[in-house]
Amino acid sequence: MSPDKSITASTATPVPWRPTAKARPNRSHESTAFAFLLPLVALEFMLVVVPLALAFYYSLFRVDYFELTSFRGFGNYVTVLTSPMVLKAVVSTIVFAAGSLVLTLGVGFALALKFEADTRTSVAMRSIVLIPYVISMLVGSLLLRWLYSSDGGLSSMALSSVGMGDFSILADPNAAMAALVSNAVWRDSAFAMILLLAGLKSIPLELHAAARVDGASAWMRFHRITLPMLRIPILIAVVRLLIHFVNVLTFALVLTGGGPNNATQTMGLALYRLGFVDFQLGEANALATLVFLFNIALIACNLALFKQRKSP
Amino acid sequence: MTPRRTAATWRSRRRSRRLGGLAIDLLIALFALAPIIWGLSTSLKPARDVLAYPPQLLPSQPTLEHYALLLRTGIHHFIVNSALVSVLTVVLSIVIGSLAAYALARLSFRGRSTLMFTTVALMSIPLPSVLVPTFMLMANIKMTNNLLGLAALYTAYQLPIVVWLLYGYFSSLPVELERAAMIDGCTRLQTLRRIVLPLSGPGLIAAGLFVLTFAWNDFVVAVVMMSSEDVKTLPVAIYGYLGFYGRDWGPLTAAAMVSIVPVILVFVAFQRYFLSGMTGGGVKG
Repeated sequence: MSPDKSITASTATPVPWRPTAKARPNRSHESTAFAFLLPLVALEFMLVVVPLALAFYYSLFRVDYFELTSFRGFGNYVTVLTSPMVLKAVVSTIVFAAGSLVLTLGVGFALALKFEADTRTSVAMRSIVLIPYVISMLVGSLLLRWLYSSDGGLSSMALSSVGMGDFSILADPNAAMAALVSNAVWRDSAFAMILLLAGLKSIPLELHAAARVDGASAWMRFHRITLPMLRIPILIAVVRLLIHFVNVLTFALVLTGGGPNNATQTMGLALYRLGFVDFQLGEANALATLVFLFNIALIACNLALFKQRKSP
Repeated sequence: MTPRRTAATWRSRRRSRRLGGLAIDLLIALFALAPIIWGLSTSLKPARDVLAYPPQLLPSQPTLEHYALLLRTGIHHFIVNSALVSVLTVVLSIVIGSLAAYALARLSFRGRSTLMFTTVALMSIPLPSVLVPTFMLMANIKMTNNLLGLAALYTAYQLPIVVWLLYGYFSSLPVELERAAMIDGCTRLQTLRRIVLPLSGPGLIAAGLFVLTFAWNDFVVAVVMMSSEDVKTLPVAIYGYLGFYGRDWGPLTAAAMVSIVPVILVFVAFQRYFLSGMTGGGVKG
């Protein structure tokens, strides 16, 4: 007997080979599908869903080095939400995410427009600007730290040419925040470029040609054709970059260490320190749950945009 | 003005514009690569020149002493750990991912669209926000400081994108060959292994490379899960050097180069596969 009965039966009744909206579930398909999907579902459930549920559970207790000692209800949430450290991290995260988003998107858009054509130079340039994105985030931030450090001499030399030779970038709160934003722009602009390039390529060339015949200037064509046609790709880039910037930990941990005086301690770093440096695991789980609720809102936006892109 | 002269001015104007464009390209490339080039230059300088002021842009006496120091202190152990975890992650995610992607592309079953939707949702979960609870779970089941445990986590994080890429690729293959194989008595599993996978080279490469670089590069998950010296991956070791060597940037930049040079080489060789992973789109074979 054939292990898959749908084959022998397929001469009599057509079996749906490609699942379509109307296709009715088929029993032999169902059991095969169950077996094929089980590893995926089991792994995602165990290593992604269970931790999130655990975070909420642990967040209700006082946790002393992995021992749940006493039930605190929402006490950890109150502690976290009234902690000056967390509030400062919220402010730093907003400054960092807003600054990085605007600049990354701007630079990414400029790069996409500049390297839109598939000439040999443009293709080569696209891979060059992508290198900061494909290398390890840790190493990227480490190299920037060396570039900005006053020990290295390179930044001191550049600054002394404008009469600020003694200025140490990473020791000044505002300059350190700017350095942190520059890290994001340096690494992620090319990512924005790639997302926007896909959109640019889908604009029919005839539109631009027709507008040119009608005498539209380059700015008019950008403003009236390119921007409106890129609405969805731009929104996708905004949401994906925001998810990244709100949560990222490596930039702050490695480049500035959160300093000086916690001025650049963003939410990702605050969460890391609360959990793995201070070992306040109950509070850390409460904060993780709160951050995750905020992320869910962003992820929902991402999903809505994803659906729009797939069904134009 | 003669037509000839007009053409000549036009040509020279075009040439100067092209030179201007080249200058801008060079400036952009400089911005993108300056930190890497500066790090490479530092890693090749003898220790006494590293902190010299004014700084030498290029090493006057290039030396590999920092790389030799790293080897003496056993950086190769961390490289081996990273390579092991990366390969393990690629194998796990390709095996689990192609099974799931095949089911989504070719089988009809209840809950199919829910599963697709969940897969896409899982793609954008930001890792730093799940580190604390994931660490508690892994500590409870005694899977911290375990290379297989780390690979399992990486697989869980990368499977959604792998499934999505392979789903796109499998759906684009003609179904007739599979039908023929099944009429010849192949099971679904055999059809997947003998017909679908051999036809899916570009899709598998794209997914595999994406996972490989993720696992090789990851720092945040590894630094939390791997604290004992013998299982540290390369990025965790480099972060450790940052505390250990402090202001001694020679070995630090050398370790940085060891981590990124393989990635840059692989990226340059397989560029278009990477792009499909980033946009979540299909690869054209």
